[in-house]
Amino acid sequence: MKRKTTDRKKKYTTVSIPVPLYLKVRGMIEDTGFTSVSDYVTFVLRELIAGTSEDRTKTAFTRADERMVKERLKALGYID
Amino acid sequence: MRVLVIGLDCATPQLVFGKWLDELPNIKKLASQGAYGKLKSVIPPITCPAWMCMVTSKPPNRLGVYGFRNRKGNSYKEIRIANSSEIKEKTVWDILSGLGKKSIVVGVPQTFPPKPLNGYLVTSFLTPSTNSQFTYPEDFRNEVLEVAPGYMLDVENFRTDRKDGLLKEIYDMTEKRFKLMNHLLKTKEWDFGMVVEMGPDRMHHAFWKYFDEKHKKYVPGNKYGGEMLRYYRFLDGKIGELLEVIDDDTAVLVVSDHGAKPMKGCLCINEWLIKEGYLKLKSYPSTPTKFGKCEVDWENTKAWGWGGYYSRVFLNVEGREEQGIIPQEKFNEEREELIRKLRAICDPEGRPMNSLVDSPEDIYHDKCEGETADIMAFFDDLYFRAAGTIGHNSIYLEDNDTGPDDAVHDWHGIFAMRKPGAQGKGEVKGISLIDIAPTVLSLMDVGVPKDMVGKVITW
Repeated sequence: MKRKTTDRKKKYTTVSIPVPLYLKVRGMIEDTGFTSVSDYVTFVLRELIAGTSEDRTKTAFTRADERMVKERLKALGYID
Repeated sequence: MRVLVIGLDCATPQLVFGKWLDELPNIKKLASQGAYGKLKSVIPPITCPAWMCMVTSKPPNRLGVYGFRNRKGNSYKEIRIANSSEIKEKTVWDILSGLGKKSIVVGVPQTFPPKPLNGYLVTSFLTPSTNSQFTYPEDFRNEVLEVAPGYMLDVENFRTDRKDGLLKEIYDMTEKRFKLMNHLLKTKEWDFGMVVEMGPDRMHHAFWKYFDEKHKKYVPGNKYGGEMLRYYRFLDGKIGELLEVIDDDTAVLVVSDHGAKPMKGCLCINEWLIKEGYLKLKSYPSTPTKFGKCEVDWENTKAWGWGGYYSRVFLNVEGREEQGIIPQEKFNEEREELIRKLRAICDPEGRPMNSLVDSPEDIYHDKCEGETADIMAFFDDLYFRAAGTIGHNSIYLEDNDTGPDDAVHDWHGIFAMRKPGAQGKGEVKGISLIDIAPTVLSLMDVGVPKDMVGKVITW
């Protein structure tokens, strides 16, 4: 039992949301499959991040990006 | 209160508030309803890092960005290109996003790759192309290209002799950027809007010699003599169109990142270092050659330099550079001596130059983040660029070694601002681009973070 608590501590953390929002979400999930506000918020965030994860991997400044910007800067005469 | 910032890269006070104010009714009205003045840039006064300094209220040494390129580690030749991931400090829109306020950000340099924000962002000319992800959110790009088909991040090349084509491109670019901004201000929910237009910078570099009678290459009665004023009028008209779509409860700022003035010539930093015995090549090139392509005799080289609007000079230090020869304990002595010699360089007529040459620590009087040069050198009050190429058989050049160029940057840009409910103040002095971010936050009743370096411009 103790071990389970330690595992949970390692895997979960706390985030704060405004109380009115918490109450609104609690009302929303009544009679749904979500058993807690935390479960629902986790679900929503996962959905949201899944939708933007492609964006995130693309937002790195890749070597190809750097090469192209370097060429642009050369064409613009900013670097020799 | 909402705030709209209209950024005009390189717009310069002696033209906007001096020579042509009466020709620019919208800027004139804005300035007379509020306040205006010369806006001190940062060191170096260059697009990168200046705009990021403006929106974070941090000097270049805090951002660790000293130009479009920065040295990669202690490498002799490898560089990093300025991009958004290098900016660790919060921008105005990062702070506003955290407070649930919405921003529209268009064309601010060094925003590629785009970072998430509460609102909409279109990156700047430092983006590979509009085929890259140049917006946030990603699907916002469709709207951008629908509203402004063929949206241009920049012109292809402004250091060119094809002036007619370039003019058309600059007008096209400006038209599309303002059309997009106009649409966004009208159709999106926003608290803060900012657009930066690169056109004035491109015009200054490509067309300065045609209108400025004091420019060494000015030819009376030339075909392009009226183009600079025509473009400034066009810009003023575009600003007027933006002002028509905002409500009365919006504060407006028109700002630039640095100014411009005629270029007098180039100082070939590496040619000078060769002449003074600091730099040794295995063979001197027969035609002008990039430093990176020259074969350097590192074992007999004490220093080398980069060109640009200013020069960055690096010492070849034992234990730091791969083939360093200056013992660590001699570093300060060698650097001081080189600084003294660089300061003493005269112009081609033998007249002393008014140059700013110092170590980064002495320029910023603070800790310097990122990879700095050992010496920063701004020649002849910026009138002389630095050329990094070798093979000119001279330490001076009439023209820019990277293509036709008429103008250099100047230490001050422009500032004009009106805010709801305030009387006209007239000219304000002693303001800096570092002051813009705190001023914007204060107008929006948002607390100014203590680590912002600037002060609130108010009256």
